[in-house]
Formats: sequence, structure tokens, C-alpha cells
Amino acid sequence: MDFARRAILGQIAKLTAGAALVPLASLSFSSSAQASPINSQPARREGDASKRYGMLIDLRQCIGCQACTVSCHIENEAPMGSFRTIVSQYEVSNESTGDIATMVLPRLCNHCENPPCVPVCPVQATFQRKDGIVVVDNEACVGCAYCVQACPYDARFINKETQTADKCTFCAHRLEANLLPACVESCVGGARIIGDMRDPNSQISRMLAEYRSELMVLKPEQGTLPQVYYLGMDERFLSRPQAEPALWDVRDIDGKEIGYEFLDH
Amino acid sequence: MNSSIIEILTPRYELAWYPWAVQYFFLIAISYSALLLSLPGTIGRGQLAQRWQPMARLALLIALSCTLVAPVALLADLHQPMRFWHFYANATPTSWMSIGSILLPLYLFSVLGYVWLAWRPALQQARRGQGFRAGIARILSAGDWQVSKPLLTASAILASFFAIGIMLYTGAEIAIIKARPLWHTHWLPVMFVTTGMVAAAGLVLVLNRFMSLQRDGRKEINRQGLKVIVVAMLTSSVVAAAWLFSGLSGHSESVAAALESVQANSDWRLSAIWALAAGIILFVFAALALKSRHQTTPLVQWTWLIGLLALHVGWAFRWMVLMEVQTVAKNTAGYYQLVVELGSYGLMGIIGTFGLWLAVLLLIDLFIPWQGQVQPPQRQSIAAEAQHG
Repeated sequence: MDFARRAILGQIAKLTAGAALVPLASLSFSSSAQASPINSQPARREGDASKRYGMLIDLRQCIGCQACTVSCHIENEAPMGSFRTIVSQYEVSNESTGDIATMVLPRLCNHCENPPCVPVCPVQATFQRKDGIVVVDNEACVGCAYCVQACPYDARFINKETQTADKCTFCAHRLEANLLPACVESCVGGARIIGDMRDPNSQISRMLAEYRSELMVLKPEQGTLPQVYYLGMDERFLSRPQAEPALWDVRDIDGKEIGYEFLDH
Repeated sequence: MNSSIIEILTPRYELAWYPWAVQYFFLIAISYSALLLSLPGTIGRGQLAQRWQPMARLALLIALSCTLVAPVALLADLHQPMRFWHFYANATPTSWMSIGSILLPLYLFSVLGYVWLAWRPALQQARRGQGFRAGIARILSAGDWQVSKPLLTASAILASFFAIGIMLYTGAEIAIIKARPLWHTHWLPVMFVTTGMVAAAGLVLVLNRFMSLQRDGRKEINRQGLKVIVVAMLTSSVVAAAWLFSGLSGHSESVAAALESVQANSDWRLSAIWALAAGIILFVFAALALKSRHQTTPLVQWTWLIGLLALHVGWAFRWMVLMEVQTVAKNTAGYYQLVVELGSYGLMGIIGTFGLWLAVLLLIDLFIPWQGQVQPPQRQSIAAEAQHG
């Protein structure tokens, strides 16, 4: 069952990656329609409608060094223990040969074309800009955490300092100043490529065209149309991986936590 | 090629909704269920009204007290509770939660109006007396006019209308979350209502033991409460079976996700066994107590324990759905730890909500003659009006 499921997921992922690219222009027009039944996407606002930002992550170039994690943390001042981006790491072993390989998987907000976190917001604090970037107005956010529940990628969290929803913004403040996002800037292998997918000459557009049949997105079956594309992806990691979980903390013999540094920060 | 995967590095995510959410869903479900339980006694006619009036007194008391406290728990679950006014400044028709924020005050005021009208005959009578309670009654009854039956009926229908809105939004709000397959099922909103009814009837049984004055009415209330529990538990089991069937026939990922969690996580296994056992024990005991025709005094004395178990079943279902489901990692392997801390985000929040509810209940009991007549007196029954202290 697992194998079949994986194969299907992989197919969906590729199809969705393709489908998400094709109707890009039409989608953004339909999403600005005024009629809004419950849980439909509200109109986009702010941002430059002539652009559509997206990211391509070339996993073949990622070495799992976490430079992106650290630079994002410094740039965006997330509280200790909370991350807007992180590189998940897995050890994969072949049971028959005993060979071991490492899988690294940078995760961040997918700035979906159909973001499930946006329509649920009861106060319109989180919204999608016309350039596709999903942001939170933390002056308006009431901290109900409904969006945190609605995101299938665990890309959102409640910031303990602001007590409001927090997430990756593709470093919108840097993009506006013609700078690259912190994670892209610091990536040693050049694995993260960000750009305007409406500009046919941008690096991301060229790579999307070149690798179209190989690209995958996370959890395609959710219908979110993620706009973070993975190159060199393994289908087993598209959804929640069937893996032995990581140790989040180390406990002593009495069950008391001893190894989690950021617990109460 | 078989491979095994070990997750090496991933952050720990904290649960975003606190036990306050459980308290809100629990209290609001008891509130709308108790409201429905009060209807036959308040707006019914003839025999039906007479048989259900003692139950209606308790049900009104429960509906009002829970309706007053539930929004406090909801407010506390916001990380920015002082910004609650943003809900009204930025109402969002696409969000079920926003729709709920508009429904909730409408529901609250309609319940207040309905309960006030239902209690008016008793308040009218109390204002003729002496002392503090009479003074309160004089203020609360606001004049000497009589409530007409059509007015009471209209207010009951209005409150029931908003109650249905609350049922719909509390269920839909959770069930639309596709990211959590366990929640994403049409059967969840139905189950919220049926288990809410179980809990409300349970609370009736408990309060019937400790707050009912009329000794004769007690047996009847117990029988009615037990009947409601048995029927609601049967309905719940049908709903659970339908949910299971929708999963096994491939129409819902919810069941597969539940089975996976039960297989993989010992906490889930324990909770599942506990929930199943509590449900079966509740059903069997309620059915047995109902079946014993000659209700002896000891049995009447102990029925409230079945009520406590019913409350537990209603509460534990919401705990499972809202808290345990949050421990299922969406993106990473394994489960997050559900740690109920001592502070106001944990245990103190749970105890505090119940404490507040108890305080509201006692205040009502102290100042309002809730045990009086709940229907406008008819000419022939004025002489038979219930006595109250």
C-alpha cells in the first residue's frame, strides 16, 4: 500500500507542479472575484500584481548546513525554538545492503496559490499579496491560531514574543529593497532560487521550464498548489514521512527533561 | 528496495490551541443542548409541558450558566484577548470563526432574553415578598407586566435558531480543516451535537441531585435525563459507525489517520480504549438505571454518578478531538508531546473555567428564584403554583 501510495503521490506531485505553473495568470484573476462563499479565497491586496514570486529548491545542491535556518532566524528575529525555515534531515538506510544516505529537506512557507491559511483568518490579518506572498499583519492578528491549524505544512507558529501568528514572508522587506531573502543569500550551494515566475527570463522561470517534468511540490493532494518547487525530490518525503521520529528532548530516568535548551525561552 | 528512515532533525512545534478551547466547546455544547432540553417544558402544551417542566427548570439554569461562561473560555484561548474587537472591526465572511464571532453574542443575548422571559412568572411572584431576593426580583422583573405564551415561544424559537447556528459553526470551523485529516469529516459536527446532548443530560442528573428542591419531581427528571443519555449515546454510536464506514469505504481519510495514530502512539491507544470503555459503561448503566421500574430511593440518590460519567464522556471527546489531534505532526514523523502545564494555559485554565461556572451557578441560585414556574400561569393553575424558598 505504501509503495502504491507513494507512486500515486509522486504522480500527483508532478502533475500538480505542472498544473500550478500553467494557469498562473488566470488563477490570480479569478481569485480577485468579489463573491466570497465561506472558506473561499478573499481578494488579494498590496504587492505588485505584475510579479509572482516563487522558489525552486534544488535539493541536489543542498548540503543541510542550516545556514538558511540561522540567517533567517537572525534576519527575522524569531523567538528561540521557533523557525520560519528549517532543513529537515533524515537518515535513510537500505535494509538489504545496509547503505546509508542522508536526505535533507529545506522547509518553509509554500506561498500556495490556494493558501488554506488565508480564508480561515477571522480578522483578515493574514492575506495574500498580489505578488503571491502570504503575509501576516501582526498589528491586526488576534492570535486565534486558526491559521496555524489550517496550514498543512506546519509553516506557521504563534510567536511567543508578539503572541501573534508568524511565518516566512519570502523576506518581502528585503525583496522590496532589491535584496535576496536571507535564506537565499546565505545558501552556500545556491540551492534556493527565488524569483518572479511571471518574468520568462528570470532564473526561476528558466529552471521551471527546463525541469518541469522533474519538479515536485509538498502534499500535492491537499490542493494548495504550493509555489515552492523541489528539484531532486524523493517521493517518500512529499507527505509526512514514514520514519522513526526525532528526539526532541532528552529525559532522565524520572522522565524529567534535561536536554532541550530552549524550553522556557 | 526496502528502506528505513530515521528523522534526525526537526523543530518541536507547540500546540497552538490550549485547553481553553476544550472548555469553550464543552460549555457551549452543554449550553445549546440544555436549551433544547428546556423547550418541551417551556413552550410545550398540556401533558407534555407538565411532565417536562421540572426538567425545564434545571435545563434553563444550565443553559444560562454555561452560556455566560463559555465565551470567557473562548476569549482566553486567543493569544491576544484584548484585540477581540478586531473580530467586529474586520468581520470576514469567508471565515467560519468570524461567522461564529457574530453568532455567539446573538446567541448569548437570545438565551438571556428567553431565560428571563421563562423566569418572569417566578420573578413576579418573588417581588411580592420581603428582603434582598425580593429586591433583586423587583429590579430583574422590570415592571408588573405578564409574559404571554406567544412571546415566550417566540423568544425560545429565536434562541433555538441561534443555537442551531452555534452547532453549525462550531462543527464546521473544525471540520473544514483539511490539513488535519482527523478533523476533516462531515461526521464530526454531528458528533459534537450528540455528545453535547449526553453531557447536558449528565449535568441535569448531577444538579438534580444537589439543587432540585421538589422531591417528587426528582425521579421524573432522572428518568428523562437517563432517556436522553441513552438515546444520545445510541445516536453517537450510529454516527461513529457511519464515520468508520465512510473511512473503510475510502470516502474519508479521517478514519485512516485515526487508526494510524492508535497503532503508532501509546497515548492514543490508551485514550481510544478509555473512550470506548467509558462510552459502553455509560450506556449500560444509564440503560440499567432506566430499566429498573421501581426506582428505589438509593438508586435515585446515585443516578448523579451516571451524570458525572456522561459529563466525562462529553468532555473527553472534546479533549481527544481538540488536544490529542494537535499532537499529530503534520509534516514530520511522530507525535508532539501534550503537556498540560499547571499555569493558566493548562490545568489552572481548566479548573478556573469550571470554578467560574460554579460561581455563576451559585450566584443565580442565590438571587434568582429559578425553581419557580417557567410558563406563564394559566387561570386554573395559579392556585397550584410551585412554592419556593
